[in-house]
Amino acid sequence: MNDFAELLNDLILSPSRKKKIDLLKIFFCKSNLKDKGWAFCILTNRMDRKFVSIKELKELIIENSDEDLFRFSYDYVGDLAETISLLWESNNKKNTKINLHEFMEIFSNFDHKNKLKTKLKYFLDRSSENQRYTIIKILTGGLRVGVSNGLIKEALKLSGVREKSEIEEFWHGFKLPCTDLFEWLDGKKLPKYINRKKLFNSFMLANNYNSNEFKSYKTDDYIAEFKWDGIRAQIIFSEDGKIFSRSGEDITNSFCDINTFIKGYFVIDGEIVVKKNNKVLSFNHLQKRIGRKNPSKKLIEDYPIHFIAYDILFYTSVDCRALSLIERKKYLNRFINICKFSNISTSSLIKFSSWDQLQNIKETSLNNHIEGVIIKKKTSLYKKGRVVDGWYKWKRNPFSVDFIIMYAQRGHGKRSSFYSDFTFGCWVDEQFTKLVPVGKAYSGYTNDELKSLDRWVRNNTVERFGPVRSLKPGLVVEVSFDNINYSSRHKSGVALRFPRFSRIRWDKPISQVCSLKYIKDLIN
Amino acid sequence: MRKTNINWLKKKREGLYCVPGNFFIDPVFPVEKALITHAHTDHARPNNKSIFSSKETIELMHLRYGESYCSDFQIARFDEKIKINDVTVQILPAGHILGSIQFLIDYKGYRLLISGDYKRAKDKTCLSYEPVECDTFITEATFGLPIFNHPNDESEVKKLIKSIKANVNKTHLIGVYALGKCQRLITLLRNLGYDETIYLHGALTKISDFYSKNNIKLGNISNISECSRSEYANKLVLCPPSSLNDKWSQKFKNVVKGYASGWMRIRQRVKQKNIELPLILSDHADWGEILKTVNDVNPNEVLVTHGREEALVHYLTKRNFKSSALNLIGFEDENE
Repeated sequence: MNDFAELLNDLILSPSRKKKIDLLKIFFCKSNLKDKGWAFCILTNRMDRKFVSIKELKELIIENSDEDLFRFSYDYVGDLAETISLLWESNNKKNTKINLHEFMEIFSNFDHKNKLKTKLKYFLDRSSENQRYTIIKILTGGLRVGVSNGLIKEALKLSGVREKSEIEEFWHGFKLPCTDLFEWLDGKKLPKYINRKKLFNSFMLANNYNSNEFKSYKTDDYIAEFKWDGIRAQIIFSEDGKIFSRSGEDITNSFCDINTFIKGYFVIDGEIVVKKNNKVLSFNHLQKRIGRKNPSKKLIEDYPIHFIAYDILFYTSVDCRALSLIERKKYLNRFINICKFSNISTSSLIKFSSWDQLQNIKETSLNNHIEGVIIKKKTSLYKKGRVVDGWYKWKRNPFSVDFIIMYAQRGHGKRSSFYSDFTFGCWVDEQFTKLVPVGKAYSGYTNDELKSLDRWVRNNTVERFGPVRSLKPGLVVEVSFDNINYSSRHKSGVALRFPRFSRIRWDKPISQVCSLKYIKDLIN
Repeated sequence: MRKTNINWLKKKREGLYCVPGNFFIDPVFPVEKALITHAHTDHARPNNKSIFSSKETIELMHLRYGESYCSDFQIARFDEKIKINDVTVQILPAGHILGSIQFLIDYKGYRLLISGDYKRAKDKTCLSYEPVECDTFITEATFGLPIFNHPNDESEVKKLIKSIKANVNKTHLIGVYALGKCQRLITLLRNLGYDETIYLHGALTKISDFYSKNNIKLGNISNISECSRSEYANKLVLCPPSSLNDKWSQKFKNVVKGYASGWMRIRQRVKQKNIELPLILSDHADWGEILKTVNDVNPNEVLVTHGREEALVHYLTKRNFKSSALNLIGFEDENE
C-alpha cells in the first residue's frame, strides 16, 4: 500500500512525461504480480463500481471531525480525498503494513454494506496522510494523477516483451485484477477468455481544421460529411454483438433498439442520434436515453435511436483499417445495403468544389443539429487517435452573446482556491431590472484572466452560500456556445450547448446586455 | 468578572487604531504614528511619520525604504513599558521572523494583546514566542483551518538534502520569501550538516547579510551572479517564489523546483505552482498552535484577522470563547 501511495504522490508531482513513465516502469518491475495487476486496474480506472459513496465518506469524516470544520476545509481545499486525509485524526495508531492487493481484495469482496464504514475507518486510522489520500482515491474512483492511458501503454512496453501495437490491440480485453496482463507482457500466452472479436477497437479522431494548412490542399483529395450532434459509437455485429461509447464503455443495453445480432463479424463506426418522422432531433432528446441501462418501451418509442454510419473497421475477416477511406466506404455501403437495417443508414457525402463553398454549406445548413463538417482524406487509413493527414473537424461558428455574471463557485483540482465556475444570466424582460440565470461556464479564459476574475469575485460578493458566492451584477462576459434549445429543466427555459467564455468585457455596462426574449429568438 | 468589551479599538481605513494611544498598528496607509509588529511589507508600509518597533524591524525598514526614511522612530525594548498618550505598551517576541514582536497594550487595566504574525515552532533565527495573559487577543489565522498541521521542520529540510544527493547533475531551485524563510531554511540546512555554498538570487542577499550581521550564522552564501553557467549543476539556489517561473529561472536547464511554504501542505497548490519538491516550512502558527496560544494567553475575547477567520471563529465560539472576525483589508489573502 505504501509503495503505491508513494507512486501516486510522485506521479502527481512529476512535471515530465518521461519521469512519469520511469516511475511506472520502476513500480511495475519491482512490485509483485498481484500488486501491479491491481495498480494497473486502479490507474486505468477499470473498477466497475465505486466501493464507497461520497455520502458515506462525508458521514465518516463528520463523525471523526466536525461538520462545519469539514465544510470550511473542503471549500478551501477543493478535493474531497485530500480534505479528508488532512483532517482525519488518527490518534497515533500504528500504520498498517497491508499490501495493495490484500487491501483491494477486502474491498472488492465486501458485501456487508453496513460494516463498510467501520472497515474504512479501521484503515484510515492506521494510515499516514498520503496513504489515506490514496485509499480514498482508490475507493471513490477517478484518480486524476495526470497519467493517461498512452503513458501507461508506454510504461508497459518498457516493462515487458510486447510491442506497443500488440498492447493496443488487447488493451481492452484483460479482466480484473489483470495479473494475466503482466504474465502476457512477460511472454506467456493470452488468457483464454480474451476473444479479439468481442473487444472494443480504438477510435480514429479528428484534428481541428486549420484554414492556413488547407489553403494548399486540393479538394479532390478529400471527402466531407456532416458532423452530427450525437454520441460517437462503435457497433460490433456478431452473435454476441456490442455497442461501445467513445471511451470504450459498453453501452449495448442502453441502445437495445439497435440490432447487433448477425452471423459473422462486422465492426462499424458512427454517430448515435434520436430520429423521429425522418428528422434528427436535438442532443437534449438523446440525453433521455444516455445512461439508461434498461430503457422502457415507452422511452424507446418516444426517443427512437438512429445510427449514422460513416466507417467500417472489420468486414468479416477483412481488417478494413488497413484500407483507404474510399475502399472502406465501399465495404460499408455493401454491408448496409445487404442488411437493410431500419435504424442504421450511411452518412451522406457533401458535394463541394472549393473550401469556401464547403464553409458556406457548413454555416448555412438549416439543420440545427449539425455541429459542423468533418473533412477526411480519401487515402487515409483507419488509425487510432488524431492522425496527421487524416480527419479534420470544422465546426460551425459558435453563437456568441454577452451575459452578466451572477454567481461564482470555487473550482476543483488544479483550480481549487480560485473562483473558476461561473453562472451567467441575462435580463428577464425589457424593464432591465431582474436577472435570470441562463448557463454555467468553466472555461475559455486564460490563467491570468482567471486570477483577475477571482479577484473581481472576492471584491463583489453580496452573499455566500457554502462554496457559492452571489455577486453584485456588474461584470459582462461574452459567452460562446455551439447550440441552443428549449429546456424545461432550466428556469430560463433554454439550454446552451457547451458554453464557454470568449471575452471578458470589463468595459461593457450591464445595461447593454440583452433580455431573455432575444436569447429565445436564437432558437432556429 | 473581567470586562469583555473593548470600545477603544477602532477599525479605520488606514488600519487598526488605538483611540487612547492615538496610534495605528501595522497600518496599510501612511499615518502619524504607527506601531509595527514586523518588517514584512504587508505589515511595515512606507511613509509613516513616526514608527515604534523592535530595533531589527526598524533597521530592516531602513534597509528596504532607505536610510532617509522616517527619522522619527522609537526603538522598543523587551524590558520596559512605554507610555504612549493614555496607554502603556509592552513588547514580547512573536517567533515569526527576526525582530517580530507582539504588542501588549494596557488601558486602565484592560489588556489587549496584538500578536501580529507568529509561530510556536522553534526557529533559531528569532526569539521564541512568549505568551502573556490578556483580556482581548488579536490573532492571525493564515493557517486557521484544521487541515493545517505543519510537520517537523527538520524532516522537511532532510527531504531537500536527500533530493540534492539523489540528483547530482541537477540544480535545486527553491522558492523562499526573502525575509525570514530564506535565512531559516539556510540555518536548518547548516544544522543538518549541509555545508556547501548556497547560492542566492540577488533579491535575497541584502537581507541575508543583515541576518549575518545580527549573529545568525548562515555559512558560505554567495550571489548566484558570481557563479558561471557551467557551475549550476548540483548547486542549491534560493530565489523569491515569483522567480521560480519567470525568465530568470529559465537559465537553469536541468532543475528540480521546490518551494518552502506552509501552503505546500496542499497537493493541489503544489500542482498549481508546478512544484516538484514541496517543503512544508511555515513561519505562521498552524491550527494546533493557534489553539494552544489562545489557551496560553487565556483571553475573554478573541478577534481573528487575516486568513481563514470563519473556521477559527466558529470553533472558538463553540468552545465558549467570545470570538469574531476583524475583517481588516489590505493583508494579502495568501501571503506567508
